[in-house]
Amino acid sequence: MSLRKISALLTVLVINISAPASSDGANPAAPDSVEKLNQIPAVVVESPVFKPAADSYFSLNLLSAFPEDLEVSDYCTDLLHIFGQRYVAYVNCLVPAARPVKVCQSCFASYGSLMEIYTNISSDQMGPGNVSCRDSLLRSDRLMLVYLLYNNLMDIWTTSGCTYCVANGFQSLTNDTLYFMSALNQSLACFEKYQQQGNHSELCKECKNTYRSLNELYGRMEKNNTLCIDTEDAMNVTRRLWSKSFNCSFPREETVPVIAVSSFMLFLPIIFYLSSFLHSEQKKRKLIHPKRAKSNTSLMNIQDKFS
Amino acid sequence: MIHSGAVVAAGVSQGRSTSLKKDFKIFEYFRRDTEKRDFVSAGAAAGVSAAFGAPVGGVLFSLEEGASFWNQMLTWRIFFASMISTFTLNFFLSIYHNKTGDLSSPGLINFGRFESDSVAYNLYEIPLFIAMGAIGGLLGALFNILNYWLTIFRIRYVHRPCLQVMEAMLVAAVTATVSFAMIYFSNDCQPLGPDHAEEYPLQLFCADGEYNSMATAFFNTPERSVRSLFHNQPGTYNPLTLGMFTLTYFFLACWTYGLTVSAGVFIPSLLIGAAWGRLFGILLASITSSGSIWADPGKYALIGAAAQLGGIVRMTLSLTVIMVEATGNVTYGLPIMLVLMTAKIVGDYFVEGLYDIHIKLQSVPFLHWEAPATSHWLTAREVMSSPVTCFNRIEKVGTIVDVLSITSTNHNGFPVVMHVAGSDEPAKLCGVILRSQLIVLLKHKVFVELARSRLTQRKLQLKDFRDAYPRFPPIQSIHVSQDERECMMDLTEFMNPTPYTVPQETSLPRVFKLFRALGLRHLVVVDDENKVVGLVTRKDLARYHLGKHGLEELQLAQT
Repeated sequence: MSLRKISALLTVLVINISAPASSDGANPAAPDSVEKLNQIPAVVVESPVFKPAADSYFSLNLLSAFPEDLEVSDYCTDLLHIFGQRYVAYVNCLVPAARPVKVCQSCFASYGSLMEIYTNISSDQMGPGNVSCRDSLLRSDRLMLVYLLYNNLMDIWTTSGCTYCVANGFQSLTNDTLYFMSALNQSLACFEKYQQQGNHSELCKECKNTYRSLNELYGRMEKNNTLCIDTEDAMNVTRRLWSKSFNCSFPREETVPVIAVSSFMLFLPIIFYLSSFLHSEQKKRKLIHPKRAKSNTSLMNIQDKFS
Repeated sequence: MIHSGAVVAAGVSQGRSTSLKKDFKIFEYFRRDTEKRDFVSAGAAAGVSAAFGAPVGGVLFSLEEGASFWNQMLTWRIFFASMISTFTLNFFLSIYHNKTGDLSSPGLINFGRFESDSVAYNLYEIPLFIAMGAIGGLLGALFNILNYWLTIFRIRYVHRPCLQVMEAMLVAAVTATVSFAMIYFSNDCQPLGPDHAEEYPLQLFCADGEYNSMATAFFNTPERSVRSLFHNQPGTYNPLTLGMFTLTYFFLACWTYGLTVSAGVFIPSLLIGAAWGRLFGILLASITSSGSIWADPGKYALIGAAAQLGGIVRMTLSLTVIMVEATGNVTYGLPIMLVLMTAKIVGDYFVEGLYDIHIKLQSVPFLHWEAPATSHWLTAREVMSSPVTCFNRIEKVGTIVDVLSITSTNHNGFPVVMHVAGSDEPAKLCGVILRSQLIVLLKHKVFVELARSRLTQRKLQLKDFRDAYPRFPPIQSIHVSQDERECMMDLTEFMNPTPYTVPQETSLPRVFKLFRALGLRHLVVVDDENKVVGLVTRKDLARYHLGKHGLEELQLAQT
């Protein structure tokens, strides 16, 4: 029997015996197989990230044999696992808050914890056992998956401008934002109170002051640049409600005077040109009559050409 | 800008101010017509270069439009002037924008950069561009015809200064009224973007958070509007708003040009062209379904702007280079050149360029580069003015003063003839003398009888002739007493003893070529015995034009 067949038999034996066993152990009940196993290079079980799938990864790991110094240490795999959990939690928080946009106020805590674990992973400090997880997790391959995923979320955070709404190291919203939210709630409450089908004129009258103060507050925040996407979107929706649904913005009132004045002004040049046509004497231009030599032959030439 | 540049160059190069009566005694070498002409050409080039940030375009503009007499040294001098002009402007603009040393605005008018990768064109778009060039030529011809009739009306009926001022005020008032009415009744509201692309958005009757885009079109400066039309994203402009704006602006621009205010036609025609070009691009994008990206409206706005400008002013070479330099992309050179050529060909079929029309209406005796094509059967005898007012070599002062004082004919050059002593033969030509020289001689009383007393005084120098340039005193301000009228003046020393002459049978193209190439003012026509028969001046040659029915002889008005 060849060595290969013996080792295959023994590996199958080892799989069946040590499937429920821990990641470290080779089964002490089969010393022969342990020795044989030691001869087979790098058969140490690589524990994948998610332990329940150990079975399926086991054979894969045995077939692909990596040298020892490329393995990811346990500390780093733990960090990776935590990163995965927090990532999923954040995205699960984001998606329901997509419309109407509430990403800043709902999910800032999750983002805070995600940022914390990533800073941990990417820090320069050596973890226990003198390993730096930054290189092994973030920069080992062309894809750089962890880096890409985190950057994506960071871009979303920056584009939505949530830094302007969240204060105190991801503990709470800023005072400005809270004040704005309360003013918004006031306006919305006013809308609800006076809302009735058909005529919105009463709503326009009663809620005008609250709406105007909300608008001014928004304008101030815009000038100070303390806006995040939540406030922008809320304001947008309110404005759309006010202008389009309730039709409360300024109507065109004075069309007749505008048309009258415009027609008058348009008439003025016609009058001007007509009067200058009729009254000014036409400026006659004096033509230069050059003195020419009289010669019959030349006159005939010109007449010939012109006829 | 071109005008300002030319004026500054003409003034600074003389080293003195005649209106302020201050002579700094520098640049006396340049107090001549030839030098002043070169300076004016360089000034025009520097003006173009500062306006558009296009130094080579400025040189070519001078070559094409600004200079009649070009020599090799002039190329280098004008190029130098243009470069210095654009970099000076760049430096001072950087100071103005509080970023000293950041030389990033080479011209007053900035069309934004067209990056090659973002806006590319394909070979199959070139026929479309040529079609746009033809449209530009047609619209330009329409503009020119309307302006031509309007200018004729203005010359005939609105010629008093008070009427002209009133007309300018009326045009301004009507422009404001039309703009206001259009903004008031416009329903086109665009949402305010977060990047604050509009500096002063006007809400008017729009909902909150939106702005009136017709107001933006009218309230922006034309340069900014052109840049927005070139570079804004597709979908920024509502076709109806843009179409109404183009129509109104076209007629307002046509009405405004020719008023007695300092207004140009370059930027308005670029704006009109960019607007309808963008409309064309939007139309193309809507026709070709599935929203293909190739019909980028900004690219068509650029082509439309070039087409409209070419259709109105009919300049090809310099405009191509100006637009290529202003947009900073040589890739667009070929389409722009094709478009401008097409616009010129289509437009020239109907009517001339705007500047040529106005030159003709002002009766400026302007000579083109070549004689009219079918004019070789005309000889100098038909073209010349005859009989000619001549002076003898030794002429009486009274005669000279009388001839110079004739107001009906404002002659500037007089042939000097010599009577053969004792015979009855007609006099032969021996020189030509100018009115300005005669006036200087009369002023300094250079008479034969006073020669002896003059020996103690200083002799007349070239400086005395140059000092009076360019505004020689009119003959009325020279006082000649009755005694002095009987004195004789010897013109031998002061005349040009070797004037250019042509025989009577010389054909018109030959006369024209000689006149134009040498930059002459007076060309004497002699017979076979060197007797003066006639005189050819610019006004005689400028009468002949190639019209619709062959060679035409137009009459010039006195200005």
